Amino acid sequence: MRYVKLPQENVYEFLERLKNFGKLYAPVKISEKFYDFREIDDVRKIEFHYNRTIMPPKKFFFLPRETMFKFSISKAEYEEVVENVEPFVIFGLHACDIFGLKIMDTIYLDEFPDKYYKIRREKGIIIGISCMPDEYCFCNLRETDFADDGFDLFLHELPDGWLVRVGTPTGHRIVDKNIKLFEEVTTQDICNFRDFEKKRHQSFRYHEDWGNLRYLLELEMEHPMWDEQSELCLGCGNCNLTCPTCRCYDVQDIPNLDGDTGVRIRRWDSCQLRSHGLVAGGHNFRPTKKSRFMNRYLCKNAYNEKLGISYCVGCGRCTYFCPAGISFVRNLRTILGFEEKSCPPEVSEEIPKRGFAYASNIRGEGI
Amino acid sequence: MENRKIRIGFYALTSCYGCQLQFAMMDEILQLIDKAKIECWYMLNRNSSEEREVDIAFIEGSVSTKEEVELVKKIREKAKIVVAVGSCAVHGGVQSWGKEKELEQLWKTVYGDGKVKFEPKMAEPVEKFIKVDYKLYGCPPEKRDFLYALGTFLVGSWPEDIDYPVCVECRLRGNSCILIEKGEPCLGPVTVAGCDARCPAYSVACIGCRGAVGYDVAWFDSLAREFKKKGFTKEEILDRMRIFNAHNPKLEEMVNKIFEEGE
Ligand code: SF4
Ligand code: SF4
Ligand code: SF4
Ligand code: SF4
Ligand code: SF4
Repeated sequence: MRYVKLPQENVYEFLERLKNFGKLYAPVKISEKFYDFREIDDVRKIEFHYNRTIMPPKKFFFLPRETMFKFSISKAEYEEVVENVEPFVIFGLHACDIFGLKIMDTIYLDEFPDKYYKIRREKGIIIGISCMPDEYCFCNLRETDFADDGFDLFLHELPDGWLVRVGTPTGHRIVDKNIKLFEEVTTQDICNFRDFEKKRHQSFRYHEDWGNLRYLLELEMEHPMWDEQSELCLGCGNCNLTCPTCRCYDVQDIPNLDGDTGVRIRRWDSCQLRSHGLVAGGHNFRPTKKSRFMNRYLCKNAYNEKLGISYCVGCGRCTYFCPAGISFVRNLRTILGFEEKSCPPEVSEEIPKRGFAYASNIRGEGI
Repeated sequence: MENRKIRIGFYALTSCYGCQLQFAMMDEILQLIDKAKIECWYMLNRNSSEEREVDIAFIEGSVSTKEEVELVKKIREKAKIVVAVGSCAVHGGVQSWGKEKELEQLWKTVYGDGKVKFEPKMAEPVEKFIKVDYKLYGCPPEKRDFLYALGTFLVGSWPEDIDYPVCVECRLRGNSCILIEKGEPCLGPVTVAGCDARCPAYSVACIGCRGAVGYDVAWFDSLAREFKKKGFTKEEILDRMRIFNAHNPKLEEMVNKIFEEGE
């Protein structure tokens, strides 16, 4: 991998030049407490220190609502429509969200490629940025706290700029075209980078092993947590709609008034909604709020076999944006036995020293 | 259906006429000319009659007089499909808000000693009196929903009902959540979607003008618990939820339950 440094004084110039590669999107503050990826006009409005956006970055590839095709019944014809296919740059994704996109790729690219997703995925440039966890973050427990790939560039904060990892040929192109904005990485930068990573690692709220979670969830279907917590749930769908890896959608045909033509549209769906499990004949696979509530927990904690990680990347959105204040993490820890000490804890209190932040011989390699 | 025009009727009960106005003003209505025949729609055609048979009957307004009870029964007999349009027809409308008070008392407040020709009764949804096949929610309803329903009927299919809450559209639209952020008593979680979360988009809490989601998935209890946590009293919560849901059979019981739970 190639590493370069972007000095602080060149940051805004760099961001401005990103616009040459496509429409620029980045996190901005949209209200008192919330952030979202929005199109950027003034690069000084970009927020570098945010924790999570209300809409996950999947929204650029898998649109919240989109028209799939136009149809004519009399002609028995349809014509595909693919919206938003201009090149674009998303600046400021965190590691968890990059993993989120990698998970979406396994669904929408690998097996039966989704034309709409694929075309935008090919047009989108991804620029990651480092972050400091807040109390809702648990990507460390999901092993999604450090992205090795899935980005064109990744910026790590230094006291006087950014250490940039170059992840793809496109990333190289962006750096090469703006080479005057970059410097070489110094020994001091590497120390600062390691310090940052160490501090970041220690800032996570929980340091424990969630390896058994999937099995415990399956075994604890009768746990009282399910009744208690699903009782609080509003069935509003916010948890799914803010999740970077929820991929369910609902399809609808909208005919025009000519009794012949129309469009097929799709929109993000949520398994917390009644019709998610509704099939022909009126049968519902998940007829109760509790069964729908449980479904999300099981879906998100299943393993994505291709990537070897869970479908939940630990971004904390489903807790942070739940209007009923339901904590996904707390509920999972209840199942794990970490919340109630009725069973003895399985792991020691000591923070496991994992990851290259603690490795001894990284310095100098690959630069 | 080939080449035969669809016969449409639009009937008004007790309402503000805003629903029909909304639809009568649509440019798209012109596309209907060679597809449909308007048998009854006084706002569009003076030569209307409530006595004719129709394929689709749209009814706006709540049933609030004895005459209207007879009218909806007649419409049902003469129509193949009955669509309740707008919050008044679907849920009884704001005029049902004062449901707790005596009819006489309500009458006096509004009309004083004035004389009218009709026999009044408490405002109620159309569904209380006849079978309703489809519902267009909202106060006023959305043009988009009207076009979708009509278009779907015209191709000989059946439109889908909306069975999910405003929150879904609020998230799709990219709004902030004012319930979480500002503790506003937003009724989005229990209200039928379709308005594209119009009010939260302007930082105004939803008052539920489209009425509660059906199929027993309007969780008044869970939402009341959340409002209670934020310091609202039972009366405030009930008052707000009742504005457009006075006839919901579950509402009171579900909210009361929360206030009986204790801390
Ligand atoms: S089933 Fe539910 S949790 Fe799983 S992807 Fe779909 S919406 Fe998300
Ligand atoms: S399940 Fe929750 S914490 Fe996990 S990725 Fe989805 S929104 Fe984030
Ligand atoms: S966001 Fe919270 S209240 Fe809404 S469906 Fe998810 S868990 Fe339930
Ligand atoms: S603002 Fe209201 S409608 Fe929007 S998500 Fe929050 S509770 Fe739901
Ligand atoms: S947000 Fe609520 S009050 Fe506003 S239009 Fe929609 S349903 Fe009506």
